[in-house]
Amino acid sequence: MLILSRKVGESLVIDGRVIVKIIRTDGDTVKVGIEAPADIPVHRQEVYDEIQKANREAATRIPLPHLPTFGKPKSPTASTPLSPANNQTHSKTV
Amino acid sequence: MSSVAEIEITKTQTVQLPLGLLGFERIKTYSLITRADQTPFHWLSVPDGGDLAFLVVPPCLVLPDYALDMSDADADFLEIRNPNDTLVFNIVTLKSDGSATVNLKGPIVINRHTMIGMQVVLSQSQYAIKHPIQAT
Repeated sequence: MLILSRKVGESLVIDGRVIVKIIRTDGDTVKVGIEAPADIPVHRQEVYDEIQKANREAATRIPLPHLPTFGKPKSPTASTPLSPANNQTHSKTV
Repeated sequence: MSSVAEIEITKTQTVQLPLGLLGFERIKTYSLITRADQTPFHWLSVPDGGDLAFLVVPPCLVLPDYALDMSDADADFLEIRNPNDTLVFNIVTLKSDGSATVNLKGPIVINRHTMIGMQVVLSQSQYAIKHPIQAT
């Protein structure tokens, strides 16, 4: 990891298109301003990590044996238990 | 193309996610699959992705007053001028015990005119990443 010292008001330039500026410090909190093009998403790492983990857990294989319903009765075929590693061949009948 | 798309009552639309989903940044093209018999759920599936897919649901069915506060930068990126320009879906996680949760903190917002979307991170919101669905 590259470690640089910056004073309040000073900036870093990354790849000629991202500017990271130290706005102010308050105890152990550092306020940082970031200017980046729209195609470079900027996230707080802990939030990014959580959503990335949730996406990976949600990634699945279609079709699944049943879906949850919103207050409607289950269809007669909806009682099959869901296998976490479900990768069944799909029947094309409707 | 997945086998699901071959069913007559299935509607398939192509959605571009230029930034990908978090953790799946390299996958930028998805098929939004709507099956009449799976309402209100939809699938975001990866064409030629070995049937890799995400189950999604409109948030208004999970929380009727779901409020999506996009940053101006994200709205500009998607060229969204007003809320009517958007389709919003939230990713559902199905657990092996049959329960399900919805990610309300990372909605997928799509410009319905261009069908270009992104996963928006509502980092300041109190919405849960694992909001339980009251599945019956």
